[in-house]
Amino acid sequence: MNDEAGGIQRRTRFQAICQSLRPDLLRFAFWLSRDRALAEDVVQESMLRAWKAQDSLLDESAAKPWLLTIVRREYARTFERKRFPTVDVDELIAKEEPMLAAAEEQDIADVRAAIMKLSDEYREPLVLQVLMGYSTAEIARELDLSGPAVLTRLFRARRQLRAACGEDTTLDPQE
Amino acid sequence: MMEHTDYRASILADPHSTDAELRTHREACAECREFTERLLRFESRLERALRVDIPAKAAEPLPMAAEPLPTAAEPLPTAAVLPFARKAGHDARAPRRWMAIAASVLLGIAIAGGVWLTLPQQSLAADVVAHMAGEPEAWQRTEAVADSELDQVLKDSKLRLKPDAGLVSYASSCAFRGHRVPHLVVQTPSGPVTVMVLVHESVRKPMRFDDEGYRGTIVPVPGHGSIAVLMRGVTVGSGEIERIAARVDDSIVWTR
Repeated sequence: MNDEAGGIQRRTRFQAICQSLRPDLLRFAFWLSRDRALAEDVVQESMLRAWKAQDSLLDESAAKPWLLTIVRREYARTFERKRFPTVDVDELIAKEEPMLAAAEEQDIADVRAAIMKLSDEYREPLVLQVLMGYSTAEIARELDLSGPAVLTRLFRARRQLRAACGEDTTLDPQE
Repeated sequence: MMEHTDYRASILADPHSTDAELRTHREACAECREFTERLLRFESRLERALRVDIPAKAAEPLPMAAEPLPTAAEPLPTAAVLPFARKAGHDARAPRRWMAIAASVLLGIAIAGGVWLTLPQQSLAADVVAHMAGEPEAWQRTEAVADSELDQVLKDSKLRLKPDAGLVSYASSCAFRGHRVPHLVVQTPSGPVTVMVLVHESVRKPMRFDDEGYRGTIVPVPGHGSIAVLMRGVTVGSGEIERIAARVDDSIVWTR
């Protein structure tokens, strides 16, 4: 009986953790895929996998990176299952325009369009750092990169973004 | 002294870095300080840009309370046999009752799609409420946290509390929208009140919300973002919560 109660309590707790992390996981998946519908599918499938594997989450404080890794792998699996045609970024931006511009000022929409145009290798570490609050070491671990490689990508990502958004980049260091 | 280009390259990679060498350079170099200030303004735009609105369904509670979940005696569902309406090509097999129950729980987690929040401020309230669900133990504690623990949580946000702020029974530095924010529970005559100090989140005017069993308000704090104040259960009116929020605001001393 106690085992049963403990199990229900544990699952309730797991559910609460998933719920609290869901908004940021959705945002992360969106910026990973740049496609709202695909982001929803990826997070849905990820939650299924997380539910199946919840016993492997031994430390609740590690729930966020654990779930995020599941989302990344699920997104990668999507590519294994299905070959996407080469994407036209301007078409992507046009397709997601309602979301990118939703109730925000034009300058935010401009930044979003610039983020959409960043290559995956720069966009992903940037989203991990700014949206998910990851440290350089955590990004390096998640992406299987060295710390200096992560910093280089973050540096390049911001330099490209700022230039694309019309910021004054005259003092930006060159590589 | 560190070279300007090295400083700028480092700060472009991590604008919120607390590295002592970077700080020393910034304090000594007006040009790099101005560069950093411009970069941080852009960073604020970047953070807002990344925080796209989420589906309204993502903030709804998971529907598990209606029926018990499968117990340990029953095997947990596997993704291969869950009766989800997967895309064509997936193999969906005959569901069993407990699978349907588990699926209903997971469907709550999953995205129903369709309705997307259009107001960023609604999304902020939804995120605050969602954060509560992740730390239910915060409400259980009634003993005062140690001063050292509280100081540690508050110092990164450059604030402290006046001695008459009330008994703080929970203090945690939580990840919220890409930043570490103080999450406190203060014991008040009206009951425990959760306070989240959101220095990176600006709201134009007080925003009341009543959602998922939490009633609260997010109030602007000019120059310091905003504060979310909320109570669990509907035991007091919104007016009382506004008054509590005002008292909380008064009890904060900003140190920068």
